[in-house]
Amino acid sequence: MPSSAEFDQMIKSGELIESTSEMTPEYLRELKHTLVVSGDTELISAPAYYLAAKRAPSINAFMTGIAIIQDELAHAHIAYHILEELGEDQENLIFSRDPKSFRYPYAFDVPLETWTELVVANGFYDQAGFCLLGDIHDKCSYGPWKRGLNKVMLEENFHLRNGRTWMKRISASGGAAKDELQRAVDWMFPLSVEWFGLPDDKKMHSTQLEYRLKGLTNDQLRQWWLSTVVPYCEQIGVKVPAHKETRDGKDVWELDYPFPCEFDAEHKRWDFEHPSTWDDVLARWRARGPRNAEMVAMFQEEFHNFRKAHHQES
Amino acid sequence: MSGSTYKRVSGEAVEYEVFARKARIDPLHLVGSVVAPDADLAMAYARATYDEERWCEMAIVRKDDVIRLWAPGEA
Repeated sequence: MPSSAEFDQMIKSGELIESTSEMTPEYLRELKHTLVVSGDTELISAPAYYLAAKRAPSINAFMTGIAIIQDELAHAHIAYHILEELGEDQENLIFSRDPKSFRYPYAFDVPLETWTELVVANGFYDQAGFCLLGDIHDKCSYGPWKRGLNKVMLEENFHLRNGRTWMKRISASGGAAKDELQRAVDWMFPLSVEWFGLPDDKKMHSTQLEYRLKGLTNDQLRQWWLSTVVPYCEQIGVKVPAHKETRDGKDVWELDYPFPCEFDAEHKRWDFEHPSTWDDVLARWRARGPRNAEMVAMFQEEFHNFRKAHHQES
Repeated sequence: MSGSTYKRVSGEAVEYEVFARKARIDPLHLVGSVVAPDADLAMAYARATYDEERWCEMAIVRKDDVIRLWAPGEA
């Protein structure tokens, strides 16, 4: 194990860490935590997207939905396998943890029930994933993860394109289809904005930044997301509650609603009249949302059935 | 248990490194790894997991069969 001065020097030099023998215990703990969030997010997107993919309007669209789900599972595999190499038990992580202890964004707990909601998820949530993972891919100090993300970035780009192409097509068709798209955007936009976590002025210190496990702050990532999503939505004629301002010669994206504010998960409705506190938001995240237990059960139950059958056989 | 053997519900599984290249001009390079109970399943996992490109060549090798001369930081 390196001394903490040697380790700090290595991180500062921009060098990649390649094995546990080159880490301090604090770095290992933070790396594992970051990987669990990433693995859990990729994994849970599969059951979240599957519910909506079943409502695909054509066989071709369904095949695309399934291909995206298969990609997400492969991405989860990459993160969980790195955790396994770092000494965690992969099967325990996936199949034996309490549903509430999974560390993925709250957005996935709100059911995606239509093809329209799925393509908005591809356009918004996969864009959020693209920003977060793109930053890690660019800046991450852990070599195996940085290299593993090559594949992930290529594929997230494809998911995003699926989302954008369909959103544009649905918007152009007008009428009831466009109204449904606007309703999906209305509840999914603020959930995606929230995805990036506490604002920088509420978050005192980031160990992840210090260890170069990521390169951008929560607010910088949120601004990046807004800078891609808002112009695109405006371009295809979809309304979003945010606009661009120029401050000190720089473009800044401002939200047109109090952030954070109250969310009714059951009715998929935001109450812009009722601002809330970050403590309220953290409590909502910790309690998890409507589909948490059901989605985790989707893969855990099958595993335990298999284990039972396998034990009876042998 | 060696460093690249893992426990799975179906028994022990070992790690295989996955190598591939896009074009004939490229060198074969490491694209990732899979953990499987045998080579047949490892091939299936490799094909299904690392499908981000139309590789012109893909090969797997047991990680334990790789003879390492030195690792990063040891040269």
